[in-house]
Amino acid sequence: MILWFILSLVLLSLIVYVMQIVALRKKLNEKYTPAHTFPPISIIKPLKGLDDNLFDNLESFCKQDYPEYEIIISLQDYNDLAYKVAEKIRSKYPHLVKIVVDDSYKALNPKVKNMYSAYRISKYEYFLISDSNVYVESDYLKRTVSAMTPETGLVTNLIMGVGGKSFGAKLENLHLNSFILLSVCFLDKFLKIPCSIGKSMLMRKSDFEAIGGFGVIKDVLAEDYMIGELIHKMGKKVILCNYIIKNVNEYWSLKRFLNRHTRWAKIRWKIAGIKYFTEPLNNPIFLSSLLTIFDGFSRTSIFIFLLIVLIKTVFDLHISRIIKASTKFSGILIPIKDLIAILIWFIPLVSSKINWRGNIYKISRNTTIIPIEKNTIKLIYSKLKTVFIN
Amino acid sequence: MLLCDFHIHTKYSDGSLDLRKVIDLFGQAGFDVIAITDHVVNGDSLIGKLAYRFKVTVTEKIFKEYIENIKYEAERAWSKYEMLVIPGVEISKNYLSSEKSAHILIIDIKNFISACDSYESIFLEAKRQNALIVACHPHHMKGEIHNTLYLWKHREKYGKYIDAWEIANRDDVFSMVSLKKYPYIANSDFHKPRHLYSWKTLLNCEKNIDSIKKCIRNNKGVAITLFRG
Repeated sequence: MILWFILSLVLLSLIVYVMQIVALRKKLNEKYTPAHTFPPISIIKPLKGLDDNLFDNLESFCKQDYPEYEIIISLQDYNDLAYKVAEKIRSKYPHLVKIVVDDSYKALNPKVKNMYSAYRISKYEYFLISDSNVYVESDYLKRTVSAMTPETGLVTNLIMGVGGKSFGAKLENLHLNSFILLSVCFLDKFLKIPCSIGKSMLMRKSDFEAIGGFGVIKDVLAEDYMIGELIHKMGKKVILCNYIIKNVNEYWSLKRFLNRHTRWAKIRWKIAGIKYFTEPLNNPIFLSSLLTIFDGFSRTSIFIFLLIVLIKTVFDLHISRIIKASTKFSGILIPIKDLIAILIWFIPLVSSKINWRGNIYKISRNTTIIPIEKNTIKLIYSKLKTVFIN
Repeated sequence: MLLCDFHIHTKYSDGSLDLRKVIDLFGQAGFDVIAITDHVVNGDSLIGKLAYRFKVTVTEKIFKEYIENIKYEAERAWSKYEMLVIPGVEISKNYLSSEKSAHILIIDIKNFISACDSYESIFLEAKRQNALIVACHPHHMKGEIHNTLYLWKHREKYGKYIDAWEIANRDDVFSMVSLKKYPYIANSDFHKPRHLYSWKTLLNCEKNIDSIKKCIRNNKGVAITLFRG
């Protein structure tokens, strides 16, 4: 009985997978209508630490084929390693780039804290929040602005992972180019759930301030989700533009891959609640592995497992071809990546602690950040230790 | 202050990244000056013979191509990142005994120098080429079975030739260089991307080869820093 149940889940997951691929194709085939006017834009770039390819990423925003825009790079510390790179970019493009260093704004979300000063000095009504690990082509701004109609409140973009050199980076890019990309397209095309991706968010200041501005996002971890949700509730459209931006991940360690996706899984768990339990349906390899376990590693179940691995690998590679992502031989890691992904999936069920760029938090409903209080017993122990040992 | 690293390996010897990728990695990280210093290994010992066998050494045959590629990448690095790239080699005299082994950076090298030559002739040839001579990891390193102690043991004899000593290499700090008040620099001994985060040199001088060499030789306006991600 249980075997038939698992087998039906495997089949269902394959159907979901096929529907996700259809959603991706539909998304990519959406027609692009060039805009007639190009409003001036302030691009806000919060930086912290040296991301892979940082110089080229920043420079790609300086080479936009767009009539009028400014780039404001914001940091919290002059000693941040990224400051020197930002300085080089500013000296190369002094007419475009401004740098602001300020950590005075009180916010628990480090990215929001970082962006605040840049937002305050930005000149234009339209502003675009863009992560430092994003690389774009020269038509990015024009294409993204084209999706911004009067009834639109927020435009975000699809992302793909590129540049994987290390094991962790290869896993990261494979996961971005399958699970993340497909899930986002599926939510957008079939479930009509607004998706906002923090790597690229274009909006008007008037809309942003109408939803409460920085005040409503400063203490939540998923500020991108919150902005999208509030703009949607306000009655404006949240558009997922089919222009794919590149998330450059070259030398990631396995630990960093695990850390990022554990964080994202915890965010999804806090946002989706009970719906989070449908996520394993995105993972036919995991479900078919369950089949082999419950069937005592019988020949048939192993055959089904290998068949599913083959199907998933071939179709994930097919997706990479569609989006023109270079996978080369890293395709053989797809089954491993999917099995690691399911292990990550379990973690939010037992822990709500988050480690983001060295900051440790707990998150509650809607990803509200709760600072971790120091453990009193540990504090007393360390005080006593100091007294008696020193 | 110029952020510098004068000890970097590429796929020309035993580094894990090719030259272009190394340039981009350091350029992206905001460095002002780097030196590419692939190994030139002595072929007269068992370890040296293995290095030749596995092609983890710059040979006289490929030296011209090595220097030309560094110069080509140096132009690209300057125009893209305003980063100065200096050609160099690490003369690696490897023997089974740590007491006999020594590694020497020759920075701003112009012509090939063989690692099989005697120390005197290596130093004199480097001086003739107006290259900078740096004694690498001159003392015991943590976790290393094989150290390069020859130059430190014979510092009275060879110290006069050496422009600077590595006071720190990747994660190791050699306090004896400080105690002896020898001229110093600090480098990553870069082989893998994670080695980017290690000890580095800061120089207070203009960003050109002559000023940099002068600054290191005079050892004024030199500081070291631990570069972390």
